Amino acid sequence: MSVELEQEPAVARLLRELPEAAAGPYDFGEFQRRARSRPAGAARMANARALVATAVIAVAVCATATRLGPIGRPLLPHPATAAAQPGEAAVSGNDEAYGERWLSSLPREPALVHVGTRSAVETLEDDIAQVDDLVSAARAGSTPAMGVEPLLAERAQLVNSLVQVRYAESLADVAR
Amino acid sequence: MTRLFEIAVPEDLRVRACAGEEGARQAIYAAVAPATFSLIRRIVGHTSAAEDVFQDTMMILFERLPEFRREAPLGAWLRQIAVSRCLMYLRSPWRRVRLRLEANDTEAGLASMPVTAALPPELIDVERALAALAPTARAVLWMYEVEGYSHAEIAAAFGRSVSFSKSQLARAHLKVRTWLEPQGSRPTCLLS
Repeated sequence: MSVELEQEPAVARLLRELPEAAAGPYDFGEFQRRARSRPAGAARMANARALVATAVIAVAVCATATRLGPIGRPLLPHPATAAAQPGEAAVSGNDEAYGERWLSSLPREPALVHVGTRSAVETLEDDIAQVDDLVSAARAGSTPAMGVEPLLAERAQLVNSLVQVRYAESLADVAR
Repeated sequence: MTRLFEIAVPEDLRVRACAGEEGARQAIYAAVAPATFSLIRRIVGHTSAAEDVFQDTMMILFERLPEFRREAPLGAWLRQIAVSRCLMYLRSPWRRVRLRLEANDTEAGLASMPVTAALPPELIDVERALAALAPTARAVLWMYEVEGYSHAEIAAAFGRSVSFSKSQLARAHLKVRTWLEPQGSRPTCLLS
C-alpha cells in the first residue's frame, strides 16, 4: 500500500475529531425573528416564479427590439438592402454611414479579459477520472463491448487538453 | 460530538410541534440546531452564508415536519434538507461570482474559518486545510469522510458521475495532505 493511501484514514480520523463550529447558531428567538422577516417557502416560490416570468418577458422584448430595431425610429439601412435600391450615390452614402456607425460602436481599445482556468481544469480532471474508470472496467472485462484503445485515445486527448490549459495558464502568469 | 443524522426526537414532541406548539418547536430547534449549523458551516465555508442556508433549512424543517414519516431519525431527514440547501447555494450564480472575486484570495478563506485557540495543533492544521479547499472538494470530502455518504450518493446529490465524486475526493485528500506535511512555503495565519 502506498504512503498516500495509508494517510487517507488518518485524514478522515482528524476530520471526524474536529469539534463543532466555534460560532454556534443563534437562538430560537432570533430564528423566529428572521423567519418573520422572510416570506414562507410557498411565497418565496411564487416570488421566484413571478421574477422568472418577468425576466422571460424582458428578454423577449429585448430580442424583439434587437430584431426589429428601436421602436419609433427608422431602420438603419444595411448595405445589402441598400444595394437593391436605385441610385448608386445613395448606396455608397448609406454604405459609408453604416460603416461609420459600426466603427463608432466598437470599443476604442481592445479589451484583454482574463478567464479563470479552475473550472476547465476540474472538468478535464473529472473527465479523465471517468475515462480511467471505463478503462479499468474494460480491462476487467465487465464492459466487453467497449475496446480499451478508443478509451486510451480519448484519455490522451483529454490529457493533451489539460496540458494546453496548464500551458496557457503559465503563459498568462508570465505575462502578468 | 453527536452527528446530525444520529439525532432523534420523541414522536409526541414532533406531533406537538406540528400542531404549532411553540415550546415543542423550541425543543426541536435546541436539539438539532447546533449539529445542523455545524454541518452547513463545514460545507458552505462562510459564517454569514451558513446562517442564511441554516435559516432556510430550519424554516423548511418546520414547514415540512408533518410530512416526516419516521423511517429514519429526524436528524437524518434534516441532514438531507441541509445538504440539499448547501449544494443549491454552492451552485448558485451569485456564489460563483463571489468565488471568482475571491479566487486568489486565500486569506479570505482562512480568515473566516472556525478555528479556536483551544484546538490541538494537528486539528488546527486540518481546519486550515479545509478552509483552503475549493468549496466543491470540501463538500465532497466532508460528506464522504464525516457524514458517511457513498460516492453514488454524492454523485446523485451533485447531479454528476461517480467519477466526479472520486476525483474530487482524491483531489481534496491530496490538498489536505499537502497542508499536513511540514513545509516552509505553506501560508501562515495568526490565531485570534
